[in-house]
Amino acid sequence: MSAPAAPLTGRVPARRSLSVRPDPVALLALPAFAYLAAAYGWPLLVLLGRSLSGPQGISLTPLAQFLSDPFSWRVIGNTVRTALLVTLVCLLAGYPAAVALARARGAVQGLLLLSVILPLSVGVVVKAYAWQIVLRRDGVVSGLLVGLGIWDAPQRLLFTETGLVIGAANVFLPFMILPIYAVIRQIDPRLAEAAATLGASPLRRFLGVTLPLTLPGIVSGIAFVFSLAVSMYVVPSLVIGDRFQTLATLTGRAFLFMRDEQLGSTTAVLLLAVAVAVVVGSTALARRLGGGGQS
Amino acid sequence: MPAPTPSAPTPPASAPSDPGFLTIVGAEKRFGASTVLGGVDLAVAGGEFVSLLGPSGCGKTTLLRIVAGLVAADRGRVVLDGRDVTRTPPHRRDVGVVFQNYALFPHLTVAENVAFGLKAKGHPRAEIPAVVARFLDLVQMAPFADRRAQALSGGQQQRVAVARALAVRPKLLLLDEPFSALDRKLREAMQIDLKRLLRELGITALFVTHDQDEALTMSDRIAVMNRGAIEQLADPVTLYRRPATAFALGFVGLSSRLHGTVREEGDGVLRVETALGTVRAPGRFRPGSPVLLGVRPERIRIGADGPNAIEATLVEVAFQGARAHLFFAGPDGERALLAEAPEIPAGARPGARLRLSWAIEDTLVFPAEPAQRDAA
Repeated sequence: MSAPAAPLTGRVPARRSLSVRPDPVALLALPAFAYLAAAYGWPLLVLLGRSLSGPQGISLTPLAQFLSDPFSWRVIGNTVRTALLVTLVCLLAGYPAAVALARARGAVQGLLLLSVILPLSVGVVVKAYAWQIVLRRDGVVSGLLVGLGIWDAPQRLLFTETGLVIGAANVFLPFMILPIYAVIRQIDPRLAEAAATLGASPLRRFLGVTLPLTLPGIVSGIAFVFSLAVSMYVVPSLVIGDRFQTLATLTGRAFLFMRDEQLGSTTAVLLLAVAVAVVVGSTALARRLGGGGQS
Repeated sequence: MPAPTPSAPTPPASAPSDPGFLTIVGAEKRFGASTVLGGVDLAVAGGEFVSLLGPSGCGKTTLLRIVAGLVAADRGRVVLDGRDVTRTPPHRRDVGVVFQNYALFPHLTVAENVAFGLKAKGHPRAEIPAVVARFLDLVQMAPFADRRAQALSGGQQQRVAVARALAVRPKLLLLDEPFSALDRKLREAMQIDLKRLLRELGITALFVTHDQDEALTMSDRIAVMNRGAIEQLADPVTLYRRPATAFALGFVGLSSRLHGTVREEGDGVLRVETALGTVRAPGRFRPGSPVLLGVRPERIRIGADGPNAIEATLVEVAFQGARAHLFFAGPDGERALLAEAPEIPAGARPGARLRLSWAIEDTLVFPAEPAQRDAA
C-alpha cells in the first residue's frame, strides 16, 4: 500500500483505484525512460514504419522481397550462426572463470575481477585491430600452432569465421562471466557440502546442485552475449571483412554505402526481432528457473 | 517425531557394543598461524550420542568437519567402523550431516531433497519413493512432500534436513548446531524428538553445540572443548557435579566462584581463605596454593548453618517461576555468589545480610589459572 498518499488526501481511496495508482518508486525510472523514448524509441518507430512501407503505402512487400532472396537467408544464417558460436564459446570459457572468481578470496579475487572488468575499458576497435595482428598468417596463433606441430604450415585465421568467433568471444566474455559470477556468489557453499555428505560425487554435485542453481545466471549471460554478438558490427568489419555479411554489417552497408534505406530498415527490423525474441524468451526462462532457485 | 512403526527402518549396520565405533586420534588443524585443533583424541561408541560443547572458536565445528571429510586434518586419523577414513572423500564416508542452516536444496521439493542422497548412492529407483515417504513420515513431514524447501518454516526445514541425512542410512550422523535458529519452545520440543528418533534408529551421533542446556538434555556424553582441546569428556551428570577444570565449571551450569588461598590441608580437607571468610573443600593442595572455588547454586542453603558458612550481602533477587535466583555481593561488590531457592526467603531484600552454607563435598576446587572467566 502506498502509505504516505492516503492520509494526505484525507480520504481512503478505493481498493480499485489503489491498484491503478503508479508505484511512486517506479517514477525513478522516468528520466531514463523519457531519454530512451526520445533518443531510441522514436527513431525505432520511424525505422519500423520505413521497413513496412512501399511506394503504395503500408505493405509487407519489401520484407517479402528481402526474404525471397537466397543471399538474405545466407546473411541471416551467418548472423545467427556466429552469434550462437560466440555465445557457446563464451559460456564454455566463462562458466569455469565465474566459478574461479566466486571461489577466490581476497587479493586474488580482486585481481581476477579486475582482469574481467578492465578489458571492458579497451575500445572494441582497438581489440579488433589487435586480433587482426594475432590472427595473421605470421601472427602469434599461427606460429604457436605450427610450433606445437598441430599445423604443418602457417595459416591465417584472419578473415575466417573461426577468427571472427575467437575475436568476438574475447570482446563479449565479461558479459557472460559477470552474471554467472553474481549468481554463484549467492549460492550457499554448504549445499555442495550437503550433497557430498549424501554420497554425491563431484560430477553429480555439479550437475545436481551447482548447475541448476546457476541456471538463472547462465540464462542472463546467454541473453547478454547473444544479443551483443548478433548485432556486432565493428568486430566482423575488421576481423572478417565485406565477404562475410551479417544483418548488422548489411544494415550498415545499406545505409552508409548503398544508400538503400529500404533494405537497411528491413535488415535492422529483422535484427531487432531476433534480439527481442531472445531477450523476452530468456527473461521468461530466467524467471521460471529463478522461481524455484534463488529468491 | 512419532514412536517407531513396524515400517521403521532397521538400524544401520553398526556394532552398538563397539566402544571405538568412531575413533579420532590426534586430530590437528591449523588455519594460517592459528591452531584450531591441537591434537584431539575422541572415541564414540556405536549408538552413542556425544556432544562437542564449547564457545565459538573452540574448534568443535572444525572437528566435526574433519569427521565429515569436509576439512582435511593436518595430522591425525579418523577411524569409522573399523575403517580408516582419514583420506576418504566425504561422498564415500557414509557420514550424514545436518547443517546449522539446514542447507536444503532450494531448487528441489521436500521429497526430492530426501531422495537426493538415495539417487546419489544408487538406491534401486523403484524403491526410492517408499523410502522417502517412510523417512518423511518419521519426522512428520509427509504432508509437505511436494513443497519447495524454501516455503517451510525453520523447524520444518530442520526436520527435512534430518530426514534427508538419515534416509541414506549413514553410519554416523553429525549435527552442527541444528537448533540454534529455532525459538526456545520449539527447540526444546525438537531436542527431545530428535533424541528419541536417533535412539530408536540406533544412530551414532556427534552433535556440535555451544548451548549447555542442549548438550545436557540430549547427550550420553559431552566433550567440553576449549581452545582446540577437549577439557573433559563425561556424562552430563558427572560433568555437572564434578567438572574437571575451571573452564568446564564455568561453561556448564551456573556456579558461584571465589578465589582463595589454601591455608592448611588435613585428611583431604582444605581450609581455604577467601575474601568472604574461610571455606572448607575436599582436595589436596599444598598450603599457599592459589585456588578457585566453585559452588552450584542449588547446593547453597540460605539462612542455615553448617561446616561451610559465610555471610554475604544480597544484591538482587531474580524470580523465575519454579525457583528464585539470589545474587550476593563478592569481595569487590560484584555479583559473585548465586544461590537458588525454591521460594524467595522471608527478608530477602537487596542489602540484607544473609547466612549461606553448603556441604564440604559440594565445594569444587580448581588450581587458579592466570586468566579466569567471570562467575555465573
